[in-house]
Amino acid sequence: MKTIRFLLNGKEASIEVEDNETLLCALRERLGITSVKEGCGIGECGTCTVLVDDEPHYSCLTLASKANGRDIKTVEYLSSSGVLHPLQEAFIRSGAVQCGYCTPAMLLSAYSLLLRNANPDAHDIKEAISGNLCRCTGYIQIEEAIKNAAEICKCNGQD
Amino acid sequence: MLPKFASVTARTKDEALSWLSSLENPKIIAGGTDLMVKMRAGKHYSHIIDVAGIPELLGVTEKDGRMSIGPAMTHARLSTEASIVRNARSLALACGLVGSPQIRNMGTIGGNLGNASPAADSIPPLLIHDAVLTLESRDARRKVPLEEAIVAPYVTSIDVKELIDSIEISPLRGYREGYRRVAKRATWAISRLGVAFAIREENGRFLDARLAIGSCTPMPFRAKKVEDLLKGAPKNEATISEAIRMALEEIKLISGIRPSYAYKLPVLQGILEEVLRG
Ligand SMILES: Cc1cc2nc3c(=O)[nH]c(=O)nc-3n(C[C@H](O)[C@H](O)[C@H](O)COP(=O)(O)OP(=O)(O)OC[C@H]3O[C@@H](n4cnc5c(N)ncnc54)[C@H](O)[C@@H]3O)c2cc1C
Ligand code: FES
Ligand code: FES
Repeated sequence: MKTIRFLLNGKEASIEVEDNETLLCALRERLGITSVKEGCGIGECGTCTVLVDDEPHYSCLTLASKANGRDIKTVEYLSSSGVLHPLQEAFIRSGAVQCGYCTPAMLLSAYSLLLRNANPDAHDIKEAISGNLCRCTGYIQIEEAIKNAAEICKCNGQD
Repeated sequence: MLPKFASVTARTKDEALSWLSSLENPKIIAGGTDLMVKMRAGKHYSHIIDVAGIPELLGVTEKDGRMSIGPAMTHARLSTEASIVRNARSLALACGLVGSPQIRNMGTIGGNLGNASPAADSIPPLLIHDAVLTLESRDARRKVPLEEAIVAPYVTSIDVKELIDSIEISPLRGYREGYRRVAKRATWAISRLGVAFAIREENGRFLDARLAIGSCTPMPFRAKKVEDLLKGAPKNEATISEAIRMALEEIKLISGIRPSYAYKLPVLQGILEEVLRG
């Protein structure tokens, strides 16, 4: 066991983890963050995506100890002020959520894109979510939602 | 679930080297994108040593006309690193095509070499840049050309107690350089065919043409015989078709005939035609 300290959605967190524990497991089982999901466990589906220092990583392939000293964000961060983020609003409006299994991770990949690029074109958006599978929507609604949210974020001067 | 192991995070290279020498059954982890998958499938090590955050293993530097790449550099960083884009364009392009954004943010070039897959995207570009690895253990330091470091598919001559300290390459300036990859799906699919090329020509002649091909043979290889043929040869259809014939011949010589070649070789031929005609 070892103690790791990190920022979790903007707040300091300190937990004990096993040496062979994944970040996915630590988030779900020690911190109760079940929005982070294990679809495949081998880097192929993207449902376990979290942001590490604002970049998307697969938490299923990340040792929990790697979170030590880092800034970890999950989808809860997007609405931590109590209102939904424009991306979340846009996902709802565009019908980008069907079963919802891919949604938290999709939102994080999209959020990370908008942090780096306030004016993403269609190719940038496709590329940004290319590590996240969705079995339901066919992606078009998701891409549209991200495009719309980018416009709204620009108007609001929001990230 | 992962098998049981103890893990440590090295803050300096010395710390990593001393753990590598003292701990029993050690294994280096960088991004973990290959190793975590293998361990999940049951591969066991007693001690995992995390080297991803060691400052000495990061960055790209230039010295005496050679460039040195830190093995812990991620594909994402290498694909946009200005000096790599300028002096080793095929490498920047190849790193930008690896896996998915998440895999590129995690996976490192050192891990790509350590894993030594026949389909590793960084290897063909590194071969045309005459890559040499510096390997270090607590008691010794040695340099090994990349060609010699990979001895079989997924097997390297890097000792368990050794660390890739740096990857040295020659910058190529004044070359038309690139990387072509054919994969079943753009994302995820481990590369099915990868060609790195760098070509310098003048007055209708090839001055220097470098070609390395991945995913076709058990190990990515540099087509040296083809390169020799092209050196100084006139740039015309006769030269190009002879070069391609030789390249395909060499592949069959290395690997014998494989079922996948019915598809791969014609695709490769198309890529080589396009690349050489430029
Ligand atoms: C979904 C998915 C898609 C992928 N797609 C691609 C692709 O398109 N193209 C491609 O080339 N690869 C691909 N890969 C494979 C993998 O991501 C790459 O090989 C990556 O570069 C590995 O780097 P890493 O840092 O994650 O390695 P790790 O898993 O940390 O390590 C891999 C090996 O290298 C050794 N190692 C790491 N660093 C050092 C060092 N400094 N010194 C000595 N040994 C070291 C480790 O001990 C281990 O044996 C994919 C993997 C997944 C899971
Ligand atoms: S659970 Fe599928 S990528 Fe991590
Ligand atoms: S909404 Fe069901 S997987 Fe994407």
